[in-house]
Amino acid sequence: MVSALYIHIPFCVSKCRYCSFSSFAGLNGLYDRYLLNVKKEMDQISAGCCKKMELQTVFLGGGTPTVLDPERLVNLLDHAEKLFGFAFDAEISVEANPGTVDGRALELLRQGGFDRLSLGVQSFSADELAMLGRCHSPMEADAAFKAARSAGFTNISLDLMYGLPGQTIESWRTTLITALTLEPEHLSMYQLTVEEGTPFGDLLASGKLELPDEDTVVAMDELNLELCGEAGLEMYEISNFSRPGYRCRHNINYWQNNEYHAAGAGAVSFSSGVREKRFDDPREYCRRVEAGDTVITEREELTLEASFRETVVMGLRMMDGVERECLVARFGLDPERYYGEVLEKLVAQQLVELTPTHLKVTPAGRLYSNIILAELV
Amino acid sequence: MKHIRNFSIIAHIDHGKSTLADRMIQLCSGISAREFKDQFLDSMDIERERGITIKSQTICLPFKARDGQEYALNLVDTPGHVDFSYEVSRALTSCEGALLLVDAAQGVEAQTLANLYLAMENDLEIIPVVNKIDLPSAEPEKVALQIEEDLGLDAEMTRYCSAKTGEGVQEILESIVSFLPPPEGDPKAELQALIFDANYDAFRGTIISVRIVNGTLRQGDTIRFMSNDAEYRVEEVGTFRIQRQSEKTLSAGMVGYIIAGIKSVQDARPGDTITLRDRPCAKALPGFKEIQQVVFSSIYPISTDDYEDLAAALEKLQLNDAALTFLKDSSAALGFGFRCGFLGLLHLEVVQERLEREFDVSLILTVPSVRYKCFLKDGSLQEIDNPAYYPDPANIDYTEEPYIKATILMPDRYMGSVMNLCMERRGENTTYHYPTPGRIELSCEIPLAEVIYDFYDRLKSITQGYGSFDYSLIDYRKSDLVKLDILVNGERVDALSQLVHRNNARARGLHACEMLKEEIPRQMFKIAIQAAIGGNVIARTTISALRKDVTAKCYGGDITRKRKLLEKQKAGKKRMKTVGNVDIPQTAFLAVLKSDQK
Ligand SMILES: Nc1nc2c(ncn2[C@@H]2O[C@H](COP(=O)(O)OP(=O)(O)OP(=O)(O)O)[C@@H](O)[C@H]2O)c(=O)[nH]1
Ligand code: SF4
Repeated sequence: MVSALYIHIPFCVSKCRYCSFSSFAGLNGLYDRYLLNVKKEMDQISAGCCKKMELQTVFLGGGTPTVLDPERLVNLLDHAEKLFGFAFDAEISVEANPGTVDGRALELLRQGGFDRLSLGVQSFSADELAMLGRCHSPMEADAAFKAARSAGFTNISLDLMYGLPGQTIESWRTTLITALTLEPEHLSMYQLTVEEGTPFGDLLASGKLELPDEDTVVAMDELNLELCGEAGLEMYEISNFSRPGYRCRHNINYWQNNEYHAAGAGAVSFSSGVREKRFDDPREYCRRVEAGDTVITEREELTLEASFRETVVMGLRMMDGVERECLVARFGLDPERYYGEVLEKLVAQQLVELTPTHLKVTPAGRLYSNIILAELV
Repeated sequence: MKHIRNFSIIAHIDHGKSTLADRMIQLCSGISAREFKDQFLDSMDIERERGITIKSQTICLPFKARDGQEYALNLVDTPGHVDFSYEVSRALTSCEGALLLVDAAQGVEAQTLANLYLAMENDLEIIPVVNKIDLPSAEPEKVALQIEEDLGLDAEMTRYCSAKTGEGVQEILESIVSFLPPPEGDPKAELQALIFDANYDAFRGTIISVRIVNGTLRQGDTIRFMSNDAEYRVEEVGTFRIQRQSEKTLSAGMVGYIIAGIKSVQDARPGDTITLRDRPCAKALPGFKEIQQVVFSSIYPISTDDYEDLAAALEKLQLNDAALTFLKDSSAALGFGFRCGFLGLLHLEVVQERLEREFDVSLILTVPSVRYKCFLKDGSLQEIDNPAYYPDPANIDYTEEPYIKATILMPDRYMGSVMNLCMERRGENTTYHYPTPGRIELSCEIPLAEVIYDFYDRLKSITQGYGSFDYSLIDYRKSDLVKLDILVNGERVDALSQLVHRNNARARGLHACEMLKEEIPRQMFKIAIQAAIGGNVIARTTISALRKDVTAKCYGGDITRKRKLLEKQKAGKKRMKTVGNVDIPQTAFLAVLKSDQK
């Protein structure tokens, strides 16, 4: 049964130079039509659910949801609540970018039911922000955070990026310390991945993008653990840290490979064992909803074993690893028996640890997670 | 018999042999362009893609000449690349005449000469043909002069054409009829049929190409192979039209095919004579030189599970490629595979490509080697083409390696750099002369091992494509041979060992180390790569440890994509061979084979 909902808002003020997400700039004229169609899609999802369950988590992500005014976002949330119902302690997140929210907007969002804010800060260096093509300043980020606090958000997450072109360990330290000084409940720190088909990807291909060397990036990783540790933020997933009690339940649901509803262009849902991706282009998406055509462009249904392996692989992203009992209950398979020698070898190399209850990546294995996961996938 | 002409087209590679053949087929058979696949005679995929002819093929063209008579023109197509020159000489024995095709822009090249000599050895009548006269850069008069002066052929005879536009092709066909002699032979005599080729057909078994020298052959006859007295009943005889066309008889002077329930092409050796059981001839026809494999390499499947598939694929391939030999081989690093013998590097590449493409097996090849002679101190001789069997150096008195005589034709401005190349490659007894002003013919004795290592590519690039090259094996000469081993984290990778001349060992060792460094992905630990002769390390490099391999972000929307990336990483790892604790990809094995100068 599905107890999570993701809604995608594929709009941004402008396109960041590294961005490969499903997001479009300059489609302001489409906003209302898009929202109408997302609601229509939610209606259909809700109608298609035989056994309905209150939602435990809702995540309004993007793009930049806050390019839409808060009234519209709250209206969308209300619609979801009417359709599905929210658990009394549901986690209701919204993503926002500094520069698109002010005190009033944040208050409306908070009062409208959003109780977790994920703020796309990325860096506190003005130069780095400009280089990334972000359309806000460090000051706006600082102001947005403080405004969110005043608006009553008691669960705020910051997104930061490191391993940026030209970034030094010192500049990263400054960003990180500035972030920690704000005392967020949650911190996501992503090493920049340069994707093909983005401006950064083109630069990299033509040799014009100078990324920090591996030793520097590893030093940054170590710094993250050290400074977050001191600040009381615990690493619970490869890129995510939180104060106790503030892990992101919506994302944990993904990493546990549980099911979730999704609505909106580019969004991916997973229900009844089927993963479905929607058309990326919001115009195409709207046309299809309006015409009563399917909005699904890709569909995937894995075999039991493949799904088991995927669950292990996703679960090992979390420091707690996967719970063996859960796997047995869900798939009838236990990793020790299933993987045999492959797992033994990883254990012998001290890359993973197999306890009577859990399978997890060791601190030594953490930096090699792809190598480990590629053995188990 | 008066109405039969057997001929072949001989030319330097790319001078337009296949194109001319196509044009003739079109003219004679009137096949519409739509039915007509380009490069008609080059029927293998690889031949068509690379635009080279590898196997000889035959086609019979019905031609109504100006004299009002119908003629049967048997065109025996021949390969152009040096690796396959044995095929040329076989094909020529079934002909009375040949068209010597020369590119009007390129002029006479090394293989033009080599093929001309072959034709002369076979007493063929020769019609020189200057092709590609449509090219703006064509200089037909100059080339005609070259033909007269360099080749000593009668300029009167020279014909001009454009195989591309068809201009002059009709005239060539007429010349074939009027200048080439019809075959001789007595259809009433005892049967003597010369096998000059054999191809495998999945439905009919081996299809033998023969030239009937004397006598007559009918369906139902029982034939005997003179080399081994094997007997078969003839199921079908016929001639090569666009498709095979069965005939009642094949008689003296004709070129055609025999189908007689013969399982494998190995059983029908080119050069053998076929006669009739009930009325045998007294003497076999003079045969051919044995095909000689000169390059050897081991082929391993990437996945050891594919060994059986590889074995089956090689067997199938051999059905149609009698020049390929293979024996079981094994390697600590790569498991079970086959030691294969080839006619040259091009042959090796063709086989590799066909295996990977037609039979869908991914392969690792070991460094190609020639066959060395090791004279041991106990007086015995071992022929070694596989580094795995190289004797303990302490027991070796001396070694010998095969030499070739290379003939290189080029504009004289490249002389200096080509001489240098030959010197680099341990060339000896270099001589040269100017067949025509501005062009040089250089001949040089070079170890074969130096030639199989990218000599041809280097020559092409040094001479900007103007140099041409032909070679023949001459003899074995003393060498200073060493076995070069490659060690990865202290473990010898047997599949990377190679036999090299001592003077080349360091350069080859360095090259191997560098290639491996480029191709082996970093791993969680540092990897030392060394090249060594015996216990003596002569080159080394290290691959630093990988410090991080993590995918930063993975949310609901990209689980599928991230999983697929991991699956790809896993598949990539599966395609690697583990030596000690180091994973070595297929590309690393193949990179070591490549030369460093590209
Ligand atoms: N312009 C022009 N190009 C020609 C002519 N004849 C052949 N070519 C081109 O020359 C190239 C080589 O022709 P092929 O017929 O494949 O040469 P080949 O001698 O059969 O080569 P091998 O099969 O490798 O021996 C091709 O690109 C042809 O299109 C011609 O008369 N004029
Ligand atoms: S704000 Fe986020 S989604 Fe929008 S363009 Fe930038 S990185 Fe992409």
